[in-house]
Amino acid sequence: MPRTPHTSPQTLRLFEALLADPARWRYGYDLSKQTSLASGTLYPILMRLADQRLLETGWEPSDEPGRPPRHIYRLSSDGVTLARQRLAARASVAADTATARRPRPAVRARTAGGAA
Amino acid sequence: MSAPALTDRQQREESPTRRLAYTLLAAAVRGRRGRPGGTWGEAILAEFSETRGDWEAVRWAAGGLRAVWQERRARARHLPRHIRISRRVAAVVVVGTLAGLLVNQFALTVGYHPSGDMEPTVWVGDRYLLDKVSHRFTGVAHGDVVAVALPEGTVLKRVVGLPGDTIECRDGGVFRNGARLDEPYLPADPESARTDCRTVTVPPGDLYLLGDFRLVSLDSRHDVTYRQDAVQGRMLTRVWRQVG
Repeated sequence: MPRTPHTSPQTLRLFEALLADPARWRYGYDLSKQTSLASGTLYPILMRLADQRLLETGWEPSDEPGRPPRHIYRLSSDGVTLARQRLAARASVAADTATARRPRPAVRARTAGGAA
Repeated sequence: MSAPALTDRQQREESPTRRLAYTLLAAAVRGRRGRPGGTWGEAILAEFSETRGDWEAVRWAAGGLRAVWQERRARARHLPRHIRISRRVAAVVVVGTLAGLLVNQFALTVGYHPSGDMEPTVWVGDRYLLDKVSHRFTGVAHGDVVAVALPEGTVLKRVVGLPGDTIECRDGGVFRNGARLDEPYLPADPESARTDCRTVTVPPGDLYLLGDFRLVSLDSRHDVTYRQDAVQGRMLTRVWRQVG
């Protein structure tokens, strides 16, 4: 079965960073710093998101003379929806595994009693 | 022409490592002709001057190379089918040719034997498969057929003595360290197989080699010196015999 897209830990970390202030345009270097993703990991994810119209991109002219324009990013409205959904899905999975790993004795006792 | 990502003043202040990282990344993005590269390559390049210090610059450039490679592959996927196929074919041909040349040079090659001195194992005009690698790890052993470089060309002979062995001949047979050799590879005709030699002890670094066709072979019996480091490889098998 193919893996659900946009669920890798790296992509989720990027979603978190972009969702902090979804309306703000972000730079690649800042995103790399904030998510501690190397450029070789970050940019392929950005490319994928932009291809699927989950990410808006633009060029921001630099105010410094001689500096080239910088590429800027923010989530599209579809992107925001998807990112929230993916992060929520991860949170619920994490909660499930946490309860599965540490079943409370009280619950087990009640189940046992019910079965008897 | 695209604008440089670094101003002249910044360029001058950059350390050599940072300049090298930037140059490599720019070359990967824009190619040798310096045309503007793909969107993402230019984006990564434009962020380069944000990095602080050598280490971060190198990491940025290295990751950038990876991303640029991916961008190119993604672009290539949208090319027309016949171009993709012909590119793939060209890549296979180039890589295959290079691999073939390397194998032929260093691992496995075909040799041509122009003489009758190794009959009946190898005939005049036979081609044989030569393993050029394994003897470097295992050395050569008694009974191996080896190709050795001599000033006049490459010869094919059989290893009869290794350094330290004492070789002598009695009653037309060969004795190594006092024991008579069983040599099933010799010609059936006793006259062609008969071996006469002076008793010698093989010096360090040398090999005592004989041709299987003892009657005509010119070899260690005739004061030809074969150096161990002149061994080119071990014959695996004959591959092709010219008929007629």
